[in-house]
Amino acid sequence: MTVTGPTHRNTGFVRSLRYAPAILIGRGVRVLARWRKPGGGSAIPGVVVNRIAPGFLTTTLNGFPLGLVIVTGSSGKSTTTKMLVAVLRAHGLAVFTNQSTANISQGLTSALLERVSLSGRITGDVAVLEMDEGHGAFIAASLTPRVVALTNVMVDQIDRFHDSEMVAALLAKIAARAADTVVINADDRYLADLGDALEPTVPVARYGVSAEVLAQYPRGLGYAETASTRLPPGTGMQLTRVLGRDADVEFDSVAHSIRLPARGIHYAVDALTALSTAQATLGQHFDPARACAALSAMPAVFGRGEVVTVGGKTIEFVLVQNPSSFQLNVDSLESGTEQILVIIGSDVRDPSYFWPVDTSGLGHVLIASGLKAHDIALQLAYDNVTVDRIEPDVPTALDAFLALPDPASGVKTIIFSADGMRRTRAHLGLVSNAGES
Amino acid sequence: MTVTSLQRPFTVVSLLPRLLDTNGDAGNARVLAQRIRWSGHDAQVVDVHSRADLPEHVDAVSIGSGTDAALVPARDALRTLVEDLRVWSNSGVPILAVGTGWELLSWGIDLADGTVLEGLGLVAGQAVPRATRATDDIIVASKYGRLIGFENHARDYVGAEASPLGRVVYGTGNGDRTSGPRIEGLTMGEVFCTHLHGPVLARNPALADHLLRAVFTRHGLEYLRGTAAESVDETAQAARNQVAVRVGHSPE
Repeated sequence: MTVTGPTHRNTGFVRSLRYAPAILIGRGVRVLARWRKPGGGSAIPGVVVNRIAPGFLTTTLNGFPLGLVIVTGSSGKSTTTKMLVAVLRAHGLAVFTNQSTANISQGLTSALLERVSLSGRITGDVAVLEMDEGHGAFIAASLTPRVVALTNVMVDQIDRFHDSEMVAALLAKIAARAADTVVINADDRYLADLGDALEPTVPVARYGVSAEVLAQYPRGLGYAETASTRLPPGTGMQLTRVLGRDADVEFDSVAHSIRLPARGIHYAVDALTALSTAQATLGQHFDPARACAALSAMPAVFGRGEVVTVGGKTIEFVLVQNPSSFQLNVDSLESGTEQILVIIGSDVRDPSYFWPVDTSGLGHVLIASGLKAHDIALQLAYDNVTVDRIEPDVPTALDAFLALPDPASGVKTIIFSADGMRRTRAHLGLVSNAGES
Repeated sequence: MTVTSLQRPFTVVSLLPRLLDTNGDAGNARVLAQRIRWSGHDAQVVDVHSRADLPEHVDAVSIGSGTDAALVPARDALRTLVEDLRVWSNSGVPILAVGTGWELLSWGIDLADGTVLEGLGLVAGQAVPRATRATDDIIVASKYGRLIGFENHARDYVGAEASPLGRVVYGTGNGDRTSGPRIEGLTMGEVFCTHLHGPVLARNPALADHLLRAVFTRHGLEYLRGTAAESVDETAQAARNQVAVRVGHSPE
């Protein structure tokens, strides 16, 4: 398949050599950094290059033949980005993508240095970047993305952003840079408003769930505010059914079935975002059947609903990153799950954080663990959840949990915060998230 | 005949939980109701979003904290309930107000842009901007024991000096005072206002039980902590001690 992109593919060679010295220096720094600290120092080359050649990052990112696609929003960015990359690759495109890092500018520059030629050209048809709303808004002014996809606005009070209005304003700043299309979640009131405001200047592609799907989730989908109406038929891509890991998506009134990488409405919405963004990126070359097949073939998403086998025991990992994802995960848990371990670690600085979540659906938790074991046990007790044991030491809790015979119903389920996940993976000798590309 | 129970469930009202639950403070209503059940009585939480939602009987009231974007809608909604709030506070119905929920009960809120948002005027004092946001654990010595919680506020509170909830042992509380002891919170009869956000009553069951004794006494009943609460309160103590030790204070 051939996809023709914007015309700036063959711009002058002389212009391109402008960054050769910076690229060489950056690579030299990378060698030195790795020599000094094996496996580490990955951001340092980026720091150096950004200092000596501040235009390198944006020039390179803006130079992909099919342009740059940015995925941003409060939640679901990583999953959506991975899904979108899989769909685009299935269409034969070479995709440059990033891992989310704390400082996106330095991390990206370092990643680009590994792939760029001395002329500043990078192999690849399109770049797909996941951006945090804060850093995204900071560097967006110098970028010219073709497509910007917005996932949602969720309230997350321990985050740096204190209210929804501020998050929405940051997202609007990024969206305003889109040259071709802004893809929005029409069920999110803040994004729906943002889309309406952008419409006169840039095409907006909308996606959303059907009224029937929304009705399955009486507590809503976790957005700061849910839009009062659903997407009218024929005005965008719609999620019409979710059951376990199976979902139906309707494109131009044709329904396609997909298999999600994990159970849960949020994965279904992430898939919908990825498909809608792929359609905006590929235009007439978008092939719904191929896209759905690629999505369905994805392995389970790391750390969220991932199923692993350790010492012959099957365990499901559930990562909770904010109250919304905690609630959705509690609500999506297979009923009758009888062996649950909850690990809340030092990353949850303020235990009040999770109190808006109704945890009563867990019913019975075998062990509460992590640095905040007592705090989460307290909340569970007030929600009528029986907690058999409080064991702050994560390795001790894991050993006791794994030693139990297999449950009669459901699989062993570990619900953890990011810190709990790190400790769990370290203790069980599983590959760490950082090693994943 | 001695009265041993109420002929109806005890009713805890959670005011405006859609607007005022950013830190999970609406959970305090859940805590009161659960402790009533553990003491062997029936209890329910009623979420009140507007006057129309008010139940016939109200035994305790919880008001949480919200974002600044919700200040005006929350104030306007509370204004429609101002007479009810007055009746409750005058008749000894315990009211717990946290963070911005407390600020809205005050004379007013001085906003960073220089404007003043008028409050309900139910409690003395007002909220004033502070230089930097106070976000940390907080320890307060009070007559309900040592209270430990988490504070996260961008405003100080002045005018509560005559009747604070307690003295700040660690943290910011009502604000940095140049002289005198640093104080936290405000009390007025059975109205309790605090910066300790989130599940302050779960972490500090002594304060919860003080409110519950007030609830029961109004009906001539005696509140006795349920046995189920004992192990939960040990968990709360362990959680409090963990914070105390981390910030250099002794466990209890």
